[in-house]
Amino acid sequence: MDNLQLLSLLQLCDSNLPVGQFSHSYGLETYIQDGKVHDKQTMKEWLMVYAEDQMCFSDGLGCYLGFQALSEGHLTDFWEIAVRLDAQSLSRESREANRKVGMRLLKLCQDLYPNSILDMYKQKIKTDHIKAHPALVFAMISYELHLSETETIVAYLYSTISGLIQNAVRGIPIGQTAGQTLLHDMKSRIEILTDRIKKLSIDDLGATPPGLEIAQMRHEHLAVRIFMS
Amino acid sequence: MNRWTGELQLHMKKKTNRTVAESVFFQGAFKVMRPLYLDDSGQACYYILNPGGGYVDGDRYIISVHLQEDAELLLTTQSATKVYKTMRDPIYQENRFHLESGSVLEYWPDPLIAYQDARYEQKTIIDMSQDASLFYAETMTPGWSEDGELFPYTKIHLKSDIYIDGKLVVLDHLRFMPQTQKIKGIGFLEGYTHFGSLTIIDQSIDLYLEELSQHLLRDYDECQIGFSRLEVSGILIRILATNTKQLEDVFKGCSKFFKRRFGRAVPELRKY
Repeated sequence: MDNLQLLSLLQLCDSNLPVGQFSHSYGLETYIQDGKVHDKQTMKEWLMVYAEDQMCFSDGLGCYLGFQALSEGHLTDFWEIAVRLDAQSLSRESREANRKVGMRLLKLCQDLYPNSILDMYKQKIKTDHIKAHPALVFAMISYELHLSETETIVAYLYSTISGLIQNAVRGIPIGQTAGQTLLHDMKSRIEILTDRIKKLSIDDLGATPPGLEIAQMRHEHLAVRIFMS
Repeated sequence: MNRWTGELQLHMKKKTNRTVAESVFFQGAFKVMRPLYLDDSGQACYYILNPGGGYVDGDRYIISVHLQEDAELLLTTQSATKVYKTMRDPIYQENRFHLESGSVLEYWPDPLIAYQDARYEQKTIIDMSQDASLFYAETMTPGWSEDGELFPYTKIHLKSDIYIDGKLVVLDHLRFMPQTQKIKGIGFLEGYTHFGSLTIIDQSIDLYLEELSQHLLRDYDECQIGFSRLEVSGILIRILATNTKQLEDVFKGCSKFFKRRFGRAVPELRKY
């Protein structure tokens, strides 16, 4: 990785990236209101399950498969992955969150890295049964930046996890330092998850633990909310 | 030798006021009796019998249902599906449902009970017309083991793909592997033991969605329920409970709304 690639990746993974990730908790807020997630330790328990058993099979796998499809020049596969990644998201708010964040990331990246695949994605969204997803926009940018498969997955998982931890810091709340130690603890986990994702296939896409999904669905009916999902 | 341990094919059509079989085929470990008519709606009902008593190592099953225009079918099982120890090859079941315009399928099998070391994979493919209706309820128990230990099985994978007019609209994938997941804990069963899932697709869902939502939010204190409107005209309901009766009650409660829109009551499925 050269310096420009490194800097581009740092920018892309920055939690200040204005794509609206800070408004989405993906069900975490339900756990906070239920009192089940209330400190660093319980946040870690939630995050481990979310990362290992949902993200791995949705965003993480989607990002990996998307990157692979682009590397092999199989664009049809890429659109098929986009359809499946959207269809597996069965909680309405999480589905809408992905579409919104995906769209904002797509637009931002069109400004930063004008290229034809991003334009094509935008066009497909306009005309076909295809929805935006941040994992797939991320895969496109990584591919354009000539990053490796592993770098792509690691960076995507990192940026998502770091965003969720930022939300936990505000939402639970926990201290900034607690948040950073949690993120630090997750680094070795991200490596393990990356290896795991690389062993999965399109047939594994979408496996979701019921408890997480129910919390994501119940979020629609929370009386007071600071997050949109 | 046939590649399926049990095979069932139902092809139904609407004939004046009744749904009747265009063709019925079964072989091996699956069997159905003559269709029942539980009320005066003309909807046919079949109970799937598994004379073998349970699924064993390497078994492969297929259920294939084709409902012609306006045909209405209630498909259920005679008793719980028991999945026994699976040391060699996982048990595989495939369900294929093809629903033409105006047809109605209610698929409401008994609970799945997986035993020690069982591995079970189920793939359901529903290919429906935009104005067909679906009520699909599934129940998963914590399994059964001699020493009373819950979740003794190795793996349960349930995958359902729903296509409407050829477009993939729902990809529902559940993956339970109690030996590697913290299945009782946060994110999975949250301290509950039983899991139920109900998918309703109905182009008129918006007529009763609000009322159904209020019912789900209000009337089931013992369960943890999450539900969400689907991208298409439908709803997905997930339920965590502590016994099968609680799940049945939710399904029945929801069934009332679904049935009412066709001007019908929920029939009693007398099985035991």
